Amino acid sequence: MNKYVVTEKAVVDAPVERVWEVVSRTDRYAEWVAGAIEVTDHHGIATVGRTYAEHNRTLGPLRTHSVWTVREIEPMRRRVDTGTGFAPLRDVTNVFEFQSVKGPRGEDATEMTYQVEYTMGLGPIGLLLDSIQQPAMRAGMRTSMANLNTLLRSENSTAAR
Amino acid sequence: MTVLQESTPTSGPRRNEADVVVIGAGLAGLTAARELVAAGLSVTVLEARERVGGRLLNHDLGDGQVTEIGGQFVGPTQDHVLALAEQVGVATYQATVPGESVYVHDGRARRFTGQTLPDPLALPDMGIALARIGQAVRKLSPTAPWRAPKARELDGMTYETWLRKAEVTGAAVDLVNIFLNSAYGGEARDASALFSLWYVSAFGDETHPGTMERGTGTEGGAQDSRFVGGSQLVAQRVALELDGRVRLAAPVRRISQDSTGVTVVSDAGDWRAGRVIVAVPPLLASRIVWDPLLPPQQDQLYQRLPFGTLMKCVAVYDKPFWRADGLSGMGLLRDGSPIREMFDNSPPDGGPGVLMGFLGGKEWRKWAHRPAGERRGAVLRCFARVVGERAFDTVDYVEQDWTAEQWTQGGPTSVAAPGVLTGYGQWMGRRFGRVHWAGAEFSPYWPGFMDGAVRSGKQAAAELLDHS
Repeated sequence: MNKYVVTEKAVVDAPVERVWEVVSRTDRYAEWVAGAIEVTDHHGIATVGRTYAEHNRTLGPLRTHSVWTVREIEPMRRRVDTGTGFAPLRDVTNVFEFQSVKGPRGEDATEMTYQVEYTMGLGPIGLLLDSIQQPAMRAGMRTSMANLNTLLRSENSTAAR
Repeated sequence: MTVLQESTPTSGPRRNEADVVVIGAGLAGLTAARELVAAGLSVTVLEARERVGGRLLNHDLGDGQVTEIGGQFVGPTQDHVLALAEQVGVATYQATVPGESVYVHDGRARRFTGQTLPDPLALPDMGIALARIGQAVRKLSPTAPWRAPKARELDGMTYETWLRKAEVTGAAVDLVNIFLNSAYGGEARDASALFSLWYVSAFGDETHPGTMERGTGTEGGAQDSRFVGGSQLVAQRVALELDGRVRLAAPVRRISQDSTGVTVVSDAGDWRAGRVIVAVPPLLASRIVWDPLLPPQQDQLYQRLPFGTLMKCVAVYDKPFWRADGLSGMGLLRDGSPIREMFDNSPPDGGPGVLMGFLGGKEWRKWAHRPAGERRGAVLRCFARVVGERAFDTVDYVEQDWTAEQWTQGGPTSVAAPGVLTGYGQWMGRRFGRVHWAGAEFSPYWPGFMDGAVRSGKQAAAELLDHS
């Protein structure tokens, strides 16, 4: 059984409190997580031990139903969830980490680390499969963080009524 | 000259009297009142709101500019509303803005011109669907669709079921739903196939059979033009002509009729009239206290004609910046996008810039009760997919949720589920003693549109004069 760790980083143009607020909402993943078509069940603000479910796009036209369990919460710093439903990927763990940084104009921003850990059997076939799926997974993780950035910007409009 | 009378309760011994009381100061009621006044009758219009126009509502942009947050488009064969507007001095202008439209699907935003979507995989399905719709519509009469061959069969299934009978990829249902999102405030699965095909058959007039192309089209179609000063101005001008005959803040609670006349009980007092025209949404008409009761079939019909769920979302910018990028501001978005159809809704002189999107049907159900800031963000992200990230730099943002309007309760029009038209359709607009019916839903042509409203108002007035 091979273990894989895929990590991507990005700076999100919003204070860590605001980023944390959105990421903590288990009902909102379809709004920014690439491949999450719909959140089919959720428990609102993420709570350790509770679950949420998604309908996901995986590779190409393939779709899956996943169930996630919240495992760790360190407010404003770290969040760990484990997921099922991504066969042949197994033991899937999703880790978000956040660090407060300054943007180019001195504004509050957040460095986000997005890490996915998983195992896959199937020997050399598994290695081959991973070489196909991992680039797509990385692209999805980068897209997710870009989407999160856009979501926060869109909700930062001052013309709200 | 008094434009609109103040509401004055009439609890004293003197009762208000008129030849005719018209209930509802939308375009239908106002048109009916105008016709009756021209025929020499005394008329009072009772309006529940503190404004006229019903589903027509202007939003003030400042500096004398407006944009509409209710019904707004007019087009060819809608001659009745166009004539009325001309008579009250409201001009039209071309709604279509030059430039490319944008089609968002599968994560990509693609520009296109004309009516053909840049989606080769969707076109065969859409072509088949349009051909089938055209063929089926030709067999329907806009005045009595329940008499059509196969009417019961068509009314026994949803429009989605009917569309899927000949689908290859499923794209046709998705694309038709883009249109129905704003047209019904719903989806193909909400309406019967017979109702939906009848609705298409009504996109015309007595000499131009209805077509899907006319109903969904921009230039040369139902979205061809807008009114200078906003569509509500037409209603306001008609109310002005009625010279004090419109009572605002006068919701009607009870209608009693006997052998000598009709008593209308409203929050602004009671009226006694020879006849009444009810020009409110069918569902709201069924909620008035009737004495005697409405014919049960008619009551059941009106209870089965609820409006869809629709919100208009409007973002205002310092100028229509997308035009400089060669974009028309029109966008069609698939894949569960909150906004599925959007337009450049700027005033005719081009400034300020306004983008308007429809949030309807299942997307309304998903977003209407979310926090306002989250919903606004979701709407602006849709706009940004079409015109770029400057869509986030708004100077104003406005939403009009028609489901939250007490005197409309949904929008834009009634949608009939399977079984309604064949079971109860013949009771639509049937005179009830001294009570006549008007409203955009009561017209065999352009039902749910401004033209349908004006047509129905004229028809109700003519029927009333025939029976007087």
